[in-house]
Amino acid sequence: MASATLYSVSDGLASALLHALGSVLPGPARAAVTNPNVIVGLAVLIFAVILLAASMLNTILLIWWERKLLGRFMDRRGAMHVGFAGLLQNFADGLKLFRKNTFQPQEADPLGFYTGPCAYMVTSLIIFGVLPISSGWNAGTLPLTLLLALAIFSFAPLFIFVSAWSSNNKYSLMGGMRSAAQMIAYEVPILLAVVAVILVAGSFNLTTIVYEQQNYWFWGPLVVALIVFVAGMLAEMERIPFDLPEAEAELVEGWNTEYGGMLFAFFMLADYLRALVGSILVVLLFLGGWTMPTWVPGALTSFPLAGIFWFMVKTYTVFGLFVWVRASLPRVRTDQLLRVGWNRMIPLSLLSIFLAAVLVTVKCLPLLGCVPGVGS
Amino acid sequence: MASPITAKEKPSENPILFVARPMATAARQFAKSLIRPATIVYPYERLEDPTFRDRVAVASGRPIGVGHVWDNYRGVHALNIATCISCNLCAFSCPDLCIEMVTVPGGDPKHPKKCPEIDYGKCSYCGFCSDACPEGCLTMTTRYELSVARRAEMVYSPEKLYDVFRTKLPMNPIRVERPANEDAILLDPPLCIGCNACSRDCPTQCITMLDIPKPAAKPGEKQTKRIWKEPVINDSDCVRCGTCISVCPKECLFWGTRK
Repeated sequence: MASATLYSVSDGLASALLHALGSVLPGPARAAVTNPNVIVGLAVLIFAVILLAASMLNTILLIWWERKLLGRFMDRRGAMHVGFAGLLQNFADGLKLFRKNTFQPQEADPLGFYTGPCAYMVTSLIIFGVLPISSGWNAGTLPLTLLLALAIFSFAPLFIFVSAWSSNNKYSLMGGMRSAAQMIAYEVPILLAVVAVILVAGSFNLTTIVYEQQNYWFWGPLVVALIVFVAGMLAEMERIPFDLPEAEAELVEGWNTEYGGMLFAFFMLADYLRALVGSILVVLLFLGGWTMPTWVPGALTSFPLAGIFWFMVKTYTVFGLFVWVRASLPRVRTDQLLRVGWNRMIPLSLLSIFLAAVLVTVKCLPLLGCVPGVGS
Repeated sequence: MASPITAKEKPSENPILFVARPMATAARQFAKSLIRPATIVYPYERLEDPTFRDRVAVASGRPIGVGHVWDNYRGVHALNIATCISCNLCAFSCPDLCIEMVTVPGGDPKHPKKCPEIDYGKCSYCGFCSDACPEGCLTMTTRYELSVARRAEMVYSPEKLYDVFRTKLPMNPIRVERPANEDAILLDPPLCIGCNACSRDCPTQCITMLDIPKPAAKPGEKQTKRIWKEPVINDSDCVRCGTCISVCPKECLFWGTRK
């Protein structure tokens, strides 16, 4: 287990910086600069910068990962010219989008048109503040991080709807409407599936949920909840086969039809940020987070930052599963999507809650495996 | 899987198969292309590169469509300046008017040597020029890379086309046989004034001026002032370029079938 934590790293960096600065300053200024409160303030800033940089870097890497995987699924190679194996291609694309002109449709409402993408981006970024990456590498020990993460996560369709409505375009509006309908259909089963996890883990705290899985990852006992959660996450992230809100074939680009340049890049980045968050949530809730099973050799789990390494491996594998689904399945119709959501997903998630309750009571079930007992 | 769907085996309505079957197909495709995708990484690998063909097409046992020598490929032209006879036939035959005959060093001062200069901004690669070339000095090669930074670089001078020729790329087969019943250039003798223009400008020197008997002057009529010579055309050497017809001042040469 790594001894360094995100707090200790940023705190050490801040105090080292400020003490170095204070050593060249006269007395009173030195006292002001090396004030513990100032150090803590700078540490929080550094902490936020590290989080932002890590999340954005991982998002861009995720886009690269999807392009490479999707390429192989389509019998081609994906991006490969810029940088090693095309690693820098997305930076080049981002630079291109950054340089482009941002314009606004004539009849659009500027307030919603510009705040929509920014709020979408911001709400997607906030979630990273509450997701634990490894032991100690989280923003805080809030007791209800899972609930907070899901609440922020389901906040985004509101801003999609705002930006779609204020674009004053029928395709945008249709995409926004679909997004809202999709959110209502899939938010309920996701939350019900999470209830199963909460029942078994006995906590809303993501860190606790991960540590409850040290012996048994939840994907075995709670496989029904996992299926519901993954399908619901696909719909929440608006990825194929549930990408109705931005169906290119029918709605041009859906709710981001009218956006270009950096605003479009915001939407694109936020989409992948949400995909990253979805993968991380699947890993945290069902695949044991940064913990590894006991039969894995100790050398593989004890090197520095091993937790983060395994966490990233799992996250990218889960995202690979999403890419696999995207490469295989066609887009569903709206009525199919809603029927699956209301008629299949909700009964399934209720079933998973029932199974979780039975598991908590009897500890072990044939075929499904065991869970750690609550409070036992 | 590849067989067409008959009435018996409809796509399954079972939702699990509906998801599982495409995913299995995608996984199989993924596994197959992990070894080598079907795409050719063009700037680094080329179909016409024999080492690439050996390594990929033969070693993987996968046939790669057009990977063989394209002996009828119509790419950039190759021009052998040494054998060009400046007959203009390429420029005449060009449907896009992209060929211009420009002077190259090597001709005598009176009759400069002219070779084709090709504007690839206009060229449609129809190959009429290389078909028309009587000497086989203008052919088309397998070179297909023409991207340039400036528009002026799209115009290939004869020297540049000669550089292409010297790369010894595979070239189109050269037409050697002439059709048996081809039209020849005929002379309307009463109109000829024996001016020697046709013989002078013939690119193959197949026109010889021969003496003709000077008729006796009729009494009371002034003797016509003319050179008593007449062109005789060697049909086997003639390339049918029509230069003689265009330079004839009296329009006494014309196309026709020799009896």
